[in-house]
Amino acid sequence: MNIHQFLTSYSYGDAIGNEALEIRNFLRTKGYQSEIFAHLYHPKYADQIINYREYDHYSDKDNIIIFHFSIGSPVTRKFLLAPDKKVIIYHNITPHHFFLDYHRILAKDCYKGRIELKNLVDKVDLALGDSSYNEQELKDAGFANTGVLPLVMNFEKFDRPIVPVLKELFDDGKSNILFVGRIIPNKMVEDVIKTFYLYQKHFHANSRLFIVGEYRGFERYLSALHNFTLKLGVKEVHFTGHIPDDELISYFKLSHLYLHMSVHEGFCAPVPESFYLNIPVIAFNTGAVKETMNNGGILVKKKDFISIAALMDKVLTDSNLKEKILASQHKALEKYYQNKTGKILLEHITRLKKF
Amino acid sequence: MPENNNNHGANGFISTHKDINVEDIMASIKKRIQEKKDSGLLRQAEIDEIEDMELLPLPDFLEIPNVYEPHLYPEHKAEDFQPFHIEAEIEAGLVKKILGKIRGLLMPLLRFMLRPFVSDLKNLTVKLHNLNKEDIHNLKQTIPITFQSKEYIKLLHNIINNMIVESSKLKIEEELLKTKLKVLEDKIEFLENRERAIEKKLFTEGDREGERKTRKK
Repeated sequence: MNIHQFLTSYSYGDAIGNEALEIRNFLRTKGYQSEIFAHLYHPKYADQIINYREYDHYSDKDNIIIFHFSIGSPVTRKFLLAPDKKVIIYHNITPHHFFLDYHRILAKDCYKGRIELKNLVDKVDLALGDSSYNEQELKDAGFANTGVLPLVMNFEKFDRPIVPVLKELFDDGKSNILFVGRIIPNKMVEDVIKTFYLYQKHFHANSRLFIVGEYRGFERYLSALHNFTLKLGVKEVHFTGHIPDDELISYFKLSHLYLHMSVHEGFCAPVPESFYLNIPVIAFNTGAVKETMNNGGILVKKKDFISIAALMDKVLTDSNLKEKILASQHKALEKYYQNKTGKILLEHITRLKKF
Repeated sequence: MPENNNNHGANGFISTHKDINVEDIMASIKKRIQEKKDSGLLRQAEIDEIEDMELLPLPDFLEIPNVYEPHLYPEHKAEDFQPFHIEAEIEAGLVKKILGKIRGLLMPLLRFMLRPFVSDLKNLTVKLHNLNKEDIHNLKQTIPITFQSKEYIKLLHNIINNMIVESSKLKIEEELLKTKLKVLEDKIEFLENRERAIEKKLFTEGDREGERKTRKK
């Protein structure tokens, strides 16, 4: 029996793409033949990813296809037409209204995605969410056979040294605050900037903010953020754009605190990543964030910016508190280690074989 | 895993692991903020202003339509577009005076818009003076626009409307280009700093290597 995966797009540094790669590698170590099929992917990955249209050559009724579902796309149709046993991993779809003012095509795809999700009910053998929050959405949509598979993450990739040049530039005694994620409206990057502004102005002037993430397609949002930064007069805000893995890891390692203010999250991968790299996390409670944090770090329930800024200062200056937070994060991280998530994946596959 | 909630306000403010004393954190935060307020460095007005600040995104210029496009570019007619009727209007008396004044006001704009056709129009005016009613009727059929002040004003309206649309689009594009320029400036600055850091690293290593060699000698 072979277990293959379907993706809409595979892009560099993308959490869903990384998970697909980890699942493929894990399944191969367990003796399964496993490939990734995608609609859109960077030519750099042409040796690792196969175009989804070629799936007919691999299809078999005894195979299992795992479809990473996160947006409407033509892959859904191909997935439905295949005779294989079908599993979806639902990574959540950002509500389309967030994109209406900025990216009409994406807004349309997100809207279509939720309709496609409903069309998948009764047509898949198993529907998995990468969090209980996502599983609940699957249940609400009408899926009967559901489960949870936490994001399969490989933390070994973080065991790399800091890029020396970045160390030279940013390891200079300033407090580095980090945000990682696509620069899109639901991430509320403006709230990160607001909080940082108050922190820098009233608590710790010698600080900087790294906003690490892709902004292509959202230039108008980025433009508004730049104007917002200028209007506030906040200094040392660095928009890095899309960066390679080694630089991303360096930014993590050079940071002293991770701040997340998003208002819609289906999982929030940077949180466990920060946990692993011993960076205290302060995150706003939305979607699956609470579940992902698993009682590690500090969960903020209200966007009271001045209090969050004071909290940041407290975490960064009180070493005793910082140690306790890091200990809580260390405990919370246990559920994400690959041997655990891999075991859960195998249990789901065994369950599926019985159908 | 056990959770520790804090009831700061009606809905609570933070929650974390049970080993962390949330009450202590909240007391400390409140104290720090109060100290800042008491010293006059932090004002409630500033906090409120920051909370109320909103992003002001540029509109999507693709959403601004050229509403009169079918008039200007007949080959791109909308399905429901009705071609305008040719109507001759002979003005007289008070109407003529009023229209004359309106035209007088619009004259600079008309002159600007008609500049490429000034010589043709001058010739036309001379010819018109020398024409009889029948000739005028014939002329209406051949060059109707000259007689259709209503349609002509419509056309001018179209042009002005589209000029406004196009200038709005240009303004938005300019703003976007400014942002792109800012991003590029930041990147250049970052790359310059990076270059300096590499140079520093290389030269320091080079100097050390040189010292080592000298010592060996």
